Amino acid sequence: MVADAVGATLPRGLLIAEAWSRLDAVAPLANASGRPLARTVKLILDPLVLRPVLNPRFAAGAVDVAHAEELRDRIIAAGPVLAATAAWFLLVKKRRRRAGITEGNPQDLYFQRCFELATAHGAPDSDPASAVTADDLLAEVHVRSGPTVAGLRDYVSDPVTIRELLRLLDVAWTTVSDVPPDDGSELPDRFLATCVTNPNTALFADLITDRTGSRDGANLRLPGVAHAEGLTDREVPGPPELGAAASKNALPKPFDRSIVQRLFVPLTDTRRAELADVADLVHREITRSAGPWQLADETSRVTMTLGRTAAAGLVATPAPGAAAQLRARWEREAFVHRARRLPTEGVHADVHGVRTAYLRRLWVRLHGRELTGGTVAAIEVWDLLDGVLRSVILDQRDRLRTALERLGQCG
Amino acid sequence: MRVTRTDSHVALGEWPHPEQAALLEGAGALLAWDVLAASAFPAAQVYDPVRASQWLWEIYGPDAATELLSGAESVNPPLNSSPVRDACRRLAQLTWIEAWWPASTVAAVPAIDPVVLKAELALATAAIDHLLDDENATTRALTLATRLPDANTLAAQLNELADTHGVTLPEPVTAPSQSNFALAAAGPSQRSGLTILSGASPIDWSAVPAGAVDAAATAEWLITRRDGSTFLEVTVLPGPTPTHLLARFDDVDLALDRVDNLGRLTGQTPIPATLLLSTHRTLTIHAPGFAPPTPQPDPDRPTRQAALIAYAKARTQATNATTTERQAGTQ
Repeated sequence: MVADAVGATLPRGLLIAEAWSRLDAVAPLANASGRPLARTVKLILDPLVLRPVLNPRFAAGAVDVAHAEELRDRIIAAGPVLAATAAWFLLVKKRRRRAGITEGNPQDLYFQRCFELATAHGAPDSDPASAVTADDLLAEVHVRSGPTVAGLRDYVSDPVTIRELLRLLDVAWTTVSDVPPDDGSELPDRFLATCVTNPNTALFADLITDRTGSRDGANLRLPGVAHAEGLTDREVPGPPELGAAASKNALPKPFDRSIVQRLFVPLTDTRRAELADVADLVHREITRSAGPWQLADETSRVTMTLGRTAAAGLVATPAPGAAAQLRARWEREAFVHRARRLPTEGVHADVHGVRTAYLRRLWVRLHGRELTGGTVAAIEVWDLLDGVLRSVILDQRDRLRTALERLGQCG
Repeated sequence: MRVTRTDSHVALGEWPHPEQAALLEGAGALLAWDVLAASAFPAAQVYDPVRASQWLWEIYGPDAATELLSGAESVNPPLNSSPVRDACRRLAQLTWIEAWWPASTVAAVPAIDPVVLKAELALATAAIDHLLDDENATTRALTLATRLPDANTLAAQLNELADTHGVTLPEPVTAPSQSNFALAAAGPSQRSGLTILSGASPIDWSAVPAGAVDAAATAEWLITRRDGSTFLEVTVLPGPTPTHLLARFDDVDLALDRVDNLGRLTGQTPIPATLLLSTHRTLTIHAPGFAPPTPQPDPDRPTRQAALIAYAKARTQATNATTTERQAGTQ
């Protein structure tokens, strides 16, 4: 905590801002108040310049003064590469406009690739070769590679495949895992107590070895449990259908989604090139659907259990730590609603709806991570748990805004 | 500025009434400037000290920010210039305008142009994207914006921003203005008969959406006798974006579903003559689906509303006004 560190540390954000203000020609990577964009820090400075994993002394929000100069120097030393990155980004944006590409967020898609180009070639110049390089980058990013929704539909509508897939579903669901249900482990509460400021990596490892997530997830097979968590409309979750059609709107609850519906959104994402081929995706999804929490990886299952435990504090007295912080965010929202003059009728009665929406959103995030091979590390848990509630709350605000517009139009 | 600590957060300064709060949702801390106070510094609620410490130094200066987060009972931030604090104030101001701008023909507070406001909100959000709670705030703000009709600097900046975030801006939809806002049962006022009692009550802004009522006007009521019956009639002057309103007088509810020949929203209902004996003659207005009727009158309301109206009027001419405010002033 900052409290223990007066005089001995400086905020990382301050050091970055200071160093950044000494760089030239990096405006395209900065915002109008002259600070590096959130995505410049997240996608470039952190992973490619400061590298907190290799340099743990730069990792925390408070940096020891002994390392402050080194952090500044590292950014200043990267100045020329950053300026070249900025120039590449402008060129790529220009070529993107010219090519009529509109999909995806350019910062997300090109920042890191521009940094690679800047590292390899320096700044782009006015000769046509640079434009070609930029076009190549665009072609690579926007190439229609990776599995597609059409491919998925074809695959699950082939009669021979269907028979085999149904057999696999049947096998997966009749040999449902042998994990004994949870007997009230204290590990989740202990991890959640400190994960906001000081995530306990050893405790997280214990949660994984103990299979706490799987054992908690096994409870969801009992009548009414998964229903109460808002993950299904059925009394007891059953095997998913293979499905044929899907749309991003009006998706059923997670456990009620067909195999096609589970894979539909990831397949329409700009990052689908990272996904496995269709057959592989479908096979894995079938296995996943029969697992505890209908997820495959133990870190995902543990995270669901942590989310379920923390979110319980939205409707009951929260334990100190993560649960109390989530509850505080929800309570703060009441003031934000009033100050933003959003509709108030019935909104706060819906806290049970928020809790179940929270678990559904968390499930979708973890499922998405599994598809691209990602797992969850102890230090990421709090950002994920907090970010999911933020996202649920912001979506609720968007719905209220829409309702407000309709209210105006009905006159 | 005084610091107080609770289990869930560290609070700095006096937290303003929601109607006068220019709010900023920063990473790990909520800031609120009181628009009626001249202070350069906002009140703060810090709920995640580690995240907030990354940028609070921009608002209060490095020393005061450190003191705030390390147990001080009060802090005195130095009045240094801070472009980031100014940029935060700007976004907070626009957020306040969106919610509470008190457009009024009675008090001559011009309406704001929502298209300009949304554009400015997106740009102001992007200007401090490094310290906001929501890392996708700029994209979110852009999806609420529309293309600006004029080719000016603001339009160019907005287009560039949309381009950088891969957002395609839709053309603006003409908002229904007061003149083409048609009520289902529009018709001339039916008023006639003998007025027995009349009165007026201030309207609770928080019970109706922004722009629904003329901010300076009161809700007026009349009790009349006609053809041997007693009637309650309520009229409200609508704002730039009218909506359906309900009135509650004592325990009688009525819809303001007509427009009278002065352009006022009005409603009429027969009442039992016993209502004349009621001493509870409070009229409240609310928009169904938006807020329930306000149960308690707020004694500070008239003063607060008058101050906010005067403030908004002054803002249209202020040197540090946002484009939204300035442009409202030139209409």
